Amino acid sequence: MNIALSTPILWVIFPVVLAIVSGIFHRRQILNLLLTSLTAFVLTLLAVLLPETLTISIGPVVIQFSESLGFLGRQINLSYEILPFIAFGYGITGLWLIFSNIPVVPDYFRSVGLVITALLTAALGVEPFLYAALLIELAILVSILVLSPTQDKTSPGILRYLSLQTIAMPLILLAGWLLTGVETLPTDSPLVIQTMIVLGLGIALLLGVFPFHSWVPMVSQQANPTVVSFILMMLNTTILVFSLNFLDRYAFLREFQTIYTVLRLMGILMIIIGGAWIAYQENLKRSFGFAILSEIGFSLLCVGLYEKGGLTWLFLLFPARAIGLWLWGYSLTLIEQRSDSMLIQNLHGFARRYPILTLGLTVAQLSLAGLPLFASFPSKFAIFTAIFTLNPLMGIWGFLGNLGLFLFTFRMLSALLAPNEDKQIVGWSVSEKKKVYLPILVFILILIFLGLLPDVFLANITETLTSFTQLQ
Amino acid sequence: MIALSSPAFIIIVVTAMIILIFRDWRINAGALALQYIAVFILVSLSWPIGVAITKLIVGWMATAAIALTCMRQIPSEAPSEPTASLFFRGLAGLLVIMVIFVLAPSLQASMFPRLNLFIVQGGTMLIGMALMQLGTNAEPYLTIFSLLSFLAGFEVIHAGLELSTLLTGLMAIVNLSLALIGVYFIIKANENKSVSEEER
Repeated sequence: MNIALSTPILWVIFPVVLAIVSGIFHRRQILNLLLTSLTAFVLTLLAVLLPETLTISIGPVVIQFSESLGFLGRQINLSYEILPFIAFGYGITGLWLIFSNIPVVPDYFRSVGLVITALLTAALGVEPFLYAALLIELAILVSILVLSPTQDKTSPGILRYLSLQTIAMPLILLAGWLLTGVETLPTDSPLVIQTMIVLGLGIALLLGVFPFHSWVPMVSQQANPTVVSFILMMLNTTILVFSLNFLDRYAFLREFQTIYTVLRLMGILMIIIGGAWIAYQENLKRSFGFAILSEIGFSLLCVGLYEKGGLTWLFLLFPARAIGLWLWGYSLTLIEQRSDSMLIQNLHGFARRYPILTLGLTVAQLSLAGLPLFASFPSKFAIFTAIFTLNPLMGIWGFLGNLGLFLFTFRMLSALLAPNEDKQIVGWSVSEKKKVYLPILVFILILIFLGLLPDVFLANITETLTSFTQLQ
Repeated sequence: MIALSSPAFIIIVVTAMIILIFRDWRINAGALALQYIAVFILVSLSWPIGVAITKLIVGWMATAAIALTCMRQIPSEAPSEPTASLFFRGLAGLLVIMVIFVLAPSLQASMFPRLNLFIVQGGTMLIGMALMQLGTNAEPYLTIFSLLSFLAGFEVIHAGLELSTLLTGLMAIVNLSLALIGVYFIIKANENKSVSEEER
């Protein structure tokens, strides 16, 4: 028996339908949790195991997948080359969803999370690719439901996030139209420069690049850390991969050296901004936002170092960053649940009561900062080596910016480890239950394995680069 | 429709100024509904009327969703504001209008030579006023009104550049979703207010 399906039906329509069904049962938490996280993991597994022929045989049943799905006169193409990235997207979605059974995480997070991943997957495959901006906008609109749940007041940060991301969409669409007309013009034509400015503005707004970054720490301070970490990780990663399409498809953009210089400068600037602000940050949740800004800086730096192999490091950074951010978000959510305040000075002695949670938070921060032995180290070491070779001054500034997160971690640790005489916390005890500390310990080990053997665990995701035929 | 383009442009200027200056949801919702008629007229200069009318229907649906929610959730008395702030916003609006009148012809000549000047002026006017509005308020429903105006301005210009069914459909979904987010914000604000009043 032959069954004909298409990859967009499997990785876009099916999860959306399932998310709607699970949303109906959002009060039955275990059913909701199993339905959404199992879907994410099954889709991950299928993306990993699907052969290049896109055919699966189960006994007498042969399922033949086509790569595209027609929709209102246009196509959504999810080709074999993009499957490693889809596997990564659904894999990390599954990770966030399966550990989201914490009372402070909004009920709808699991359904909304699945919808966001499906929309972002569609964004990677829609043709013409510029329409991805609309799908990304839809994902952003859906994310508001969990970033600003009903019981919370609508904060200025959320309104700023919504406004800036909505303004970005028309700029991307306009840039797309302009790009088709300027391809044949000489690169010094004013229209080419105008097009690049419109495109650059659109992408900068979407990624929260300086000076459009202020919403990131505001949202991270207000919203639930598990939700923030998931949404910022998924959105930024997809937007970066979507942006690579511009370099891949337009030769004049790819060959315009000024773009790489600007990207490197903006990358270093973001690392400095993130690092400088986080270094003296008092609020644990707000510090998370500044760390995200630093990570955006590293991503821009990687694209700016394209000619030196930066894209490979960018794709190697994604899994390390995803696990680091998940661990950070998860630990923060649990800390918020157990503490009245998220200010460092009010958390004296916390580590003595909750040592595993503190360890999880510390390792997540150090891993993202690029400490040797941890997952981000191999990529960040390569990035710093390349930027030092290219421009030592930029390298020094980037290095100093990156020190901000180390400084913050040590400040935080010294406060959390100190005894608290007022609350009579002097001795040490492990107050966490097994179901809380086990995932933390497992993912600390994974971060170490990824750091020690990056080629073994991370090589697959770099295959996504084969879908960008001109960028290899 | 070409004969209607200059009245449409005037409607855009007037309604955008009203939305910028006033804070009463009734006045703003009326102005936004009127604005979508002008948007429809300008879009129909580039698209067949059958397709252009989707902009009007979607716009009115979005406005109706927000207005009906405001009717149920926001107290009936209009918020009082000092005349100075109305005056300041009026001046800011006039500044935007002047800038658009100066910049639009050169923008049309350099970037959109195929488009009618009214389309470029109408679109940029909506975008400019919406950006000014976004910068001068922190009210959730006014932010949504501004974003809807901003998108309408973009749609006026983009309609002259490209006609795509998928794009039209997706833009309609984005506009309606934005309106639903507005509804969500208004209901949430009211629920939180009721809870805090009960706690007192």
